Amino acid sequence: MINFEEELKKFHPSLEVEDAEDAIYNQDLTDVADVLIGMMKEVKEEALDLE
Amino acid sequence: MRCYNCGCQLSEKDFCTGCGADVALYKRIMYTSNFFYNEGLEKANVRDLSGAVISLRQSLKFNKNNVQARNLLGLVYYEMGEVVKGLSEWVISKNLRSKKNIADDYIDMIQQNPSRLDTINQTIKKYNLALGYCQQDSLDLAVIQLKKVLSLNPKYVRAHQLLALLYMKAEEWEKAGKELDKCSRIDTGNTTTRRYRKEVDKMLEKAESVKAKGGTRKKKIAEDTIKYQSGNETIIQPINNRESKGVSVALNIGIGILIGVSAACFLILPAKEDADTSSAQEELRIVSEQLDKKTGTIEEMEQEIRQIREENEQLKQEVNDYAGNDGKMEVVDGLLNAVSVYMESPENTERVGQALEKIDVQAAEQVESEHFQSLYRILLTEAGPSVAASYYKSGMDAYQKEMFEEAIEDLEKAAEYDPENGDILYNLGNAYRQNDNREEAIQAYTQVVEKFPGTERARRSQNFLKELNEDAE
Repeated sequence: MINFEEELKKFHPSLEVEDAEDAIYNQDLTDVADVLIGMMKEVKEEALDLE
Repeated sequence: MRCYNCGCQLSEKDFCTGCGADVALYKRIMYTSNFFYNEGLEKANVRDLSGAVISLRQSLKFNKNNVQARNLLGLVYYEMGEVVKGLSEWVISKNLRSKKNIADDYIDMIQQNPSRLDTINQTIKKYNLALGYCQQDSLDLAVIQLKKVLSLNPKYVRAHQLLALLYMKAEEWEKAGKELDKCSRIDTGNTTTRRYRKEVDKMLEKAESVKAKGGTRKKKIAEDTIKYQSGNETIIQPINNRESKGVSVALNIGIGILIGVSAACFLILPAKEDADTSSAQEELRIVSEQLDKKTGTIEEMEQEIRQIREENEQLKQEVNDYAGNDGKMEVVDGLLNAVSVYMESPENTERVGQALEKIDVQAAEQVESEHFQSLYRILLTEAGPSVAASYYKSGMDAYQKEMFEEAIEDLEKAAEYDPENGDILYNLGNAYRQNDNREEAIQAYTQVVEKFPGTERARRSQNFLKELNEDAE
């Protein structure tokens, strides 16, 4: 049996056109490739430090 | 695919031929991103838009620079009615690759149609408003708003779902089912839609089973119908509607007549009575209006009559003021006549005297006009002595003939026109005395004594006064 109140909580207000700019700027664009590159850089720097 | 370190084109080897960097893991990430993009594309092709969104977002989690995945995600959002989300993805995509990007076309398509963009924004605002109504428990208002939203943007999946949820809350299962069908047509794989659909189907089945137990009559109706499924719609069509014949036909006719008569008695007659009453009321209203109008006219006319009377009184007053209540006009007329007569024939003292006699002396004294008084005095000064002499002569003639009353009359007039003449006054006194008018005689003699002291007439008057006083004692 569906609980109306609980279901209603799953609906959120839609973004309006005026809010689009903020939404674009605030979007987290970090991807796995960024994480990997970051990690690779860190490993490389650590290796250089050891040398 | 290019090296993340130096930007060189990568070969099939696990390291970069340009800088020697290990690209094995990087390549695997890129492949994974592409895998999710392909999955998303497949789902989008079969209208599993929710599934496509999940896959495409996964793809972008692995590689944010996957422009194709981002553009497709924007397109899927747009198709689901989430226009702002779609627009955001396209804008980011355009920033990542400014040339040869299909996102340009999508953005231009929206920007070149401002009214469409405005409609979209209105749709979103109304959806948010409807959601607010739901949270305030104003479900009827929310339904109205959502219907407006869907009339503007029929592909808005979330609005369909919310409307279906509201119908479910109101236990309007069939309506909820229709909304969910529309959702399914837009997005086939949406789990929320499926969950709601399951609930609605369960409730509809329950309702059907209750109906099925409803009795033999309902069964008979069911037997007389053809039931078939057209898409998601269940169509129930009657086989035939043959009327039973014989007694039942007569009975039906009788019932029909009875219903007709009842309708005439309870509906038509009261309606006719109402019509008559309203017509009579209308006539009464018209007559009342006419009566009011006439009453108003009568009042106006009475007012006019009162004004006319007042004006009449005022005019009469003015005429009286001009004419003079005490015969002023007559006096003035008499004076003018006397002046005219005197100017025509100053020697004809008889006519002048007659003209002067017509002037009421007392009335003449009350006339306030200075010109009148001046003219009157001039006339008396000019014509008075000669007129007085004429009367004096006739008076003395009558006196000689011992006709004392006539003598008094003429002498009084002579004294009036020439009051400074001692002979006239003296002889007037004598006439009074001879006619036994003692008081008048005393007055006349007293005037002589006072006005002409030291004269023979005064001395004689004094003597007569003494005699008269002695007689009285």
